[in-house]
Amino acid sequence: MSVAEPVRKNMGGAKRPPFRFRWNWLGVMPFLLFAGALLILPTIVLGARSLTGPDGATTFENYGNMATPVVIDSFRLSIKISLITALVGGMFGFLLAWSMVLGGLPRPVRSLLSTFSGVASNFAGVPLAAAFIATVGRVGLFTILLKAAGFDIYKVGFDLYSFIGISVVYLYFQFPLMVLVITPSIEGLKKEWREASENLGASTYQYWRHIALPVLMPSILGAMILLFGNAFGAHATAFALTGGNLRLATILIGQQISGDVLQNPGLGYAVAMGMVAVMAVSIGIYSILQRRSERWLA
Amino acid sequence: MTIAGPQSGSLTGHGAAGGAVQPTGPGPAPPRRSRLGRLWPWFIVALGVVYFVTPLLGTIRLSLRHNKGTWEAWRLMLGNDQMWPAFGQSIVNGLATILVSLLIIVPTAYWVALKMPRLRPLIEFITLLPFVIPGVVLVLALIRLYSAPPLLLTSTYNSTRVVMICAYAALSFPYMYRSVDNGLRSIDVRSLTEAAQSLGAGWPTIVTKVIFPNIRLAILSGALLTFAIVLGELTIALYMAQRTLAPFMADIVRNKPFEAAALTLIAFSVTWLSLGMISYVTNRAGRRT
Amino acid sequence: MYGAGRSALLYDDFDQKEANHHMKRNLALLSAFAIIIAACGGTSTDTTAAPGTTVGATATTAASPDTAAGASDTTVAGDPMGALVAAAEAEGMLTTIALPHDWCNYGAVIDGFKAKYPNIEVNELVPDAGSADEIEAIKANQNNPGPQAPDVIDVGLAFGPSSKAEGLIQPYKVSTWDSIPDDAKDADGYWYGDYYGVLAFEVNTAVQADVPTDWADLLDPKYNGQIALAGDPRASNQAIFSVYASALGNDGSLDDAQPGLDFFAQLNTAGNLVPLIAESGTVASGETPVTIRWTYNALANRDENGDSIQVVVPATGRFGGVYVQAISTYAPHPNAAKLWMEYLYSDEGQLGWLSGYCNPIRYEDMAARGVVPADLAAKLPDTVGAVFPTIEQIEAAKTLIVEGWDSTVGLNVGG
Repeated sequence: MSVAEPVRKNMGGAKRPPFRFRWNWLGVMPFLLFAGALLILPTIVLGARSLTGPDGATTFENYGNMATPVVIDSFRLSIKISLITALVGGMFGFLLAWSMVLGGLPRPVRSLLSTFSGVASNFAGVPLAAAFIATVGRVGLFTILLKAAGFDIYKVGFDLYSFIGISVVYLYFQFPLMVLVITPSIEGLKKEWREASENLGASTYQYWRHIALPVLMPSILGAMILLFGNAFGAHATAFALTGGNLRLATILIGQQISGDVLQNPGLGYAVAMGMVAVMAVSIGIYSILQRRSERWLA
Repeated sequence: MTIAGPQSGSLTGHGAAGGAVQPTGPGPAPPRRSRLGRLWPWFIVALGVVYFVTPLLGTIRLSLRHNKGTWEAWRLMLGNDQMWPAFGQSIVNGLATILVSLLIIVPTAYWVALKMPRLRPLIEFITLLPFVIPGVVLVLALIRLYSAPPLLLTSTYNSTRVVMICAYAALSFPYMYRSVDNGLRSIDVRSLTEAAQSLGAGWPTIVTKVIFPNIRLAILSGALLTFAIVLGELTIALYMAQRTLAPFMADIVRNKPFEAAALTLIAFSVTWLSLGMISYVTNRAGRRT
Repeated sequence: MYGAGRSALLYDDFDQKEANHHMKRNLALLSAFAIIIAACGGTSTDTTAAPGTTVGATATTAASPDTAAGASDTTVAGDPMGALVAAAEAEGMLTTIALPHDWCNYGAVIDGFKAKYPNIEVNELVPDAGSADEIEAIKANQNNPGPQAPDVIDVGLAFGPSSKAEGLIQPYKVSTWDSIPDDAKDADGYWYGDYYGVLAFEVNTAVQADVPTDWADLLDPKYNGQIALAGDPRASNQAIFSVYASALGNDGSLDDAQPGLDFFAQLNTAGNLVPLIAESGTVASGETPVTIRWTYNALANRDENGDSIQVVVPATGRFGGVYVQAISTYAPHPNAAKLWMEYLYSDEGQLGWLSGYCNPIRYEDMAARGVVPADLAAKLPDTVGAVFPTIEQIEAAKTLIVEGWDSTVGLNVGG
């Protein structure tokens, strides 16, 4: 079935047969079946358990219990840290990717950075927290060195075990993620465009402002939603650094369904479904922004 | 930044700033820039390097502080006979996951880009589901769904391993889809497809011989990310009783901080090396075509 | 972006409404299909299944010798024991969960079991699982005969009755049943205490040379930024019990844990409390030089990471906690599970725990018979005067602490 077919078949503008849409769906069937078996079904199981009360009966009370300040605040915190690390991670990650692709670095450096980004992008959880603790914790390497030089960073107000501290640690896997995901797009900038814009007298700033960034914007947005999701779902790193004291949504869920206390798993599952909803809304917002950025190109 | 004159031409002879990751073919030229402008990339990279290396320095110091001797942690770790099998399992799982993920994502992303662009938000939402399903919930749900008769997919170690690799492929979807989609955006999918079709190519040929090679860099990014995820994944491996790297690491981290630091650095290096090899292989394959 | 201009031409027949209609219909079909699959896959797994001693127990004649043999050591291969061993070896595998090797020296205990029964493979799941995780694992693996389903669990005292009520555990009385104290076991044999310990201060003297001797000492300014709980006070036994224990040392009682919350609020205000979770690693590296943990965990850390780590049981407010063993109703290897219990409650198994600084539950009986080696007994810390809360007291205190932690202690990390 060729791409040109639709034009041939419907010259008369007649009502096209719905049959064709089934063929298109066939193309995404493998993905839908695979994702269905491994992601969607577990989500449905999650949803089913969120509708189960402590005694096993079906109930909406878990969702009702979500309307407490604790839960709402946990969503606020999670969204906040995800937005901040997505934006900061996105911006500096983009700069890094730009430097690597267009910065005129020698080949080996670029290759090293690229593979390092691969490793660092998943260096998260307890090992990452331990690495930061070992470096800027209260008895970390740099803390001690600076103290020997007379400068106590903890007295000045720096605290690894705080919202800001965790955000800084999150960036360790956000930067490389952005780099890896946006590098192909920067690679894809055609050199003809740059040459053409220079021939027309555009400055570097104008090139980026009117050509390169708009072209890259859909990809940048896509990368940022990825960073957002990545931070939104992170749990182990924050937990390793602050115990349960930074009540992110993921940590709240963990407290309800894991550990040593008979808490309310149903509430945990309801909060998880809430996270699914936040993700859906984020995709919605992102899609609107995407379409607007693409419309420019049409 | 001002436009530089012709005297400061591109720094490398051809194409974009070098790097083994660069595919052959058209790429952006490094813009001509002033002397000062040339320093910006180095400055940014230097900043990045400082940020990334610093926590590793702390880890190195921690690995040398074992109470029984400076190098004791390294000696114990390198002599641990469970470490290398765990690495081996994880690496094999990683490669298998990359394969499965590519086989599913690349055709899907291509199809959606070409034929059903309005479906993209739905597909993207599905690919982002791994972020919001807690790991414990996911693995226990998978066990609930697939361990019971008649499916019994988890009755042996190896059959469970297959299920786990499929789960890992699903976990890699956000990264793989985003990378591949970004790659597809930077090539003209429609024209390429039409050209190939007019030359008589069928769908499989188009996907393997036209699309794959043109988004090689994007695929490489996705593969690197997927591999790193598999090597670091803990919860699913734990509940599925698999002897991979992360459970082994969790055992060491629990009460042996100095050996854990050494192990972190070893894992970092092994992962880096593996990614370097994946990168190398991908680029050699690229140069051959 | 994909040749956007041309796509408009090619898709001039593209009707959005039609597309939406078809998409919605297909999605609806897909969802219905998925829901049907999920329903068949048995998502309603929380209903209590029928527990019973007959589930999978092929060697019932050997299984429950209520008559305690005079010699409780299992090396005397009486006929019931021999049949159990044979049945267990036929199953060939035992799946455990939540047994870290340095917790009560489970490493040595498991090795001892493996050495004794080399034909039984021991499959260890999720060593860091909490009690709730173990219960969730049993629930998820109800129909799974594979190696992911736990056979035996080791959980906090409160989980004994609750999992019995949910039908998740099956009864079994080991041959040494009678020497287990009555207040540490279920009368019907569903769960039984295995070991206990007392909460103590663990201090890394290389970072903090002054070792606190009692709860009030912790408020001293010299501990500024040095004290951390060994877990999340909303989800971890050690953390919650630390707060509970501090109540005992601050004019509270087992029925009133509020003074504990107030004490930790004071610690926080003084700046002595750090939000980080203290573990063996963070104590040994000096990041959290002072913490409160079970004696056995702290002493194991000292053994592993050097004598700079000192362990002190507080002078007042000595808090004891019991853990319990149980066999899962859905255990794929019930006979191996029973054999494991026999081993754990034999003198050999109990001494294994003793070597990990845990007080085994049959300690009184073994000491009376002179079976405890003197050097091992000497290594135990002095825990005289420790009090053990009942299950009701534990539940009340947990609820109070979990709900009151945020508002009373207010350990706010910003954001």
